[in-house]
Amino acid sequence: MELIPILSTIILVATISTFILAIGAYILYKVRESRGEHYVSAGPSEVRAELVTPAVAPSPVREVERAPAQVVVNQPASSGPQFQPQPIFVQQPQRPEARPVRVGVPSQQYSAGYTAAPTRESKFMKYTTEGYVSAKEDVNAGALKWK
Amino acid sequence: MELSQKVKKAIFTIKNKKEHRYDEQSSGKYLKRILISGLLSLILLYIIIYTLPQTVLDVSSLLEYTTIVALVIFLFVLVFRYFAILIMAYLYINQYTYKPTTGFFPFVSIIVPVYNEGVVVADSVKSLLDLNYSNYEIIIVNDGSKDNTQEVAETLVGYQKGRLSDVKVSLINKPNGGKAQALNAGIKYSNAEIVLCMDGDSQLSPDSIKLAVRHFSNPEIGAVAGNVKVINRGKLLTDLQALEYIEGLNMARSAQSFINLVNIIPGPIGLFRKKAIEEAGFYSSDTFAEDADLTLKVLANGWKIYYEPNSISYTEAPERLHQLLKQRYRWTRGIIQSIRKHKKLMVNPTINFGDTFIMWTMAYEALIWPVMNLAANLFFIVAAIFFGFTSLIFFWWAGLALLDLVTALYCVAVEKEEFRLVPYSLIYRMVFILIIDVSKVMSTIEEFLGIRMSWGKLERVGALRSQN
Repeated sequence: MELIPILSTIILVATISTFILAIGAYILYKVRESRGEHYVSAGPSEVRAELVTPAVAPSPVREVERAPAQVVVNQPASSGPQFQPQPIFVQQPQRPEARPVRVGVPSQQYSAGYTAAPTRESKFMKYTTEGYVSAKEDVNAGALKWK
Repeated sequence: MELSQKVKKAIFTIKNKKEHRYDEQSSGKYLKRILISGLLSLILLYIIIYTLPQTVLDVSSLLEYTTIVALVIFLFVLVFRYFAILIMAYLYINQYTYKPTTGFFPFVSIIVPVYNEGVVVADSVKSLLDLNYSNYEIIIVNDGSKDNTQEVAETLVGYQKGRLSDVKVSLINKPNGGKAQALNAGIKYSNAEIVLCMDGDSQLSPDSIKLAVRHFSNPEIGAVAGNVKVINRGKLLTDLQALEYIEGLNMARSAQSFINLVNIIPGPIGLFRKKAIEEAGFYSSDTFAEDADLTLKVLANGWKIYYEPNSISYTEAPERLHQLLKQRYRWTRGIIQSIRKHKKLMVNPTINFGDTFIMWTMAYEALIWPVMNLAANLFFIVAAIFFGFTSLIFFWWAGLALLDLVTALYCVAVEKEEFRLVPYSLIYRMVFILIIDVSKVMSTIEEFLGIRMSWGKLERVGALRSQN
């Protein structure tokens, strides 16, 4: 008995079944979705949000204290959502400023391909008994001159 | 995890942008277009029938030739597309392997939007505290959850002990407005140069930030897309999705990354230069694929987008067919909405050629490819049932399965994934992709008919929680 006709029949049946399954599942999905359908109305142009943030750096005493005071901040009109986080950030006395930092290799090494053009001084260095010095520095040094 | 010490609460006003929803189109407008297209098709058909007697062809031979030509074009496009993606993905991996790492550690804000994630939010934050990075903070944005998310999240606020340093955890409670608005709230509050946007129910691998942020040392890079992996494996549907993420999505992303033009930064893990997001005008709620929309806007502003395969985010894939269709329906319609929103970029390559190229690719993947695939399968079914060419469908399947098998082997090897996923490639195209393509075609039709849709939230079974 040849294998290809059997395999062909299996593939044919599987493909037709998948088609029926896919269309059936899609119709079922739409029916289920339409039952619980709810239209979302356009959101308000302004909403009030609450910010909860640590007030101070962690102390050895583990007390849980929630400050009830609520500060209302009026935002200037703008197109996007706006926050004023300043009152929060000033209250981190023992922490380093959370800002982008580079550690490890000096900055010029990770901006390979984007280095600034060398200046005249760094381009023309002179080797003297005191090591490399810039051409400008060495221009009047010593009495010896080429004749 | 330690509890917070002192917390401070403040009330803010968030101003939302006025946005036009792309799914709320008037169906009349599209009905008019369909009528015009139908009329033009009828005219074309009339011309063919009128001029046919003047040629050497009759109706049946015309149909035969048309089918053969269509199939040859389809095969050529399929093989060309496959090999183009494979070659570019291979070149990218080669380039990636030899790329040196740097010591660039900018401050990063991780934005975690949550909506009814009370069950998983603590575990998500716990996983974020285990990151192998010292300079970051976590901002949880509670998008008006109706469960106990707010209570759980409030207990997490404070300076928590991270793997390398203490990590500041903040919380923003806002009324429900959708994921895009929640992410915008977090990004606006953030003071960092780099923001990481993720899903509330995803978990990041420990090295995810460290490996992704190094690409930002290149000032041209505006965003870095991470690698999304399915965590709840072991079932047929989720295993097929795991293979799809590796073979379909990640390989394509690698290929796109070779030219620094990744078209969609995935929702579960995406790092952005804050400046790039600000220039793009933040996330928008006017489409159902806010990540695709933002990616296109970032690219349009001239930023490059890179893909980092070792920045991994584990996400829960739908376990039921109904949930899977829901997800893909939203993805397809969202992508079409994004394409329509930025159609100016699509038709005018002088604005940004990269964007034009990437949008045509997206349009091809979302609109043309599924139709071609379904048409080819229908043709083989008709040829087998009505004309007795049963073996044709077998050879068709065997050719595609072989191609998928080799690709799956390559992708699994590159990603150091589970080898047991490879045999799934034999049924991947004939079963899984066919189901997905039916859903894509139907949702495309619905989108053009202007049928309304809602976001809907996928049901989660808590697979991430059980991993902890």
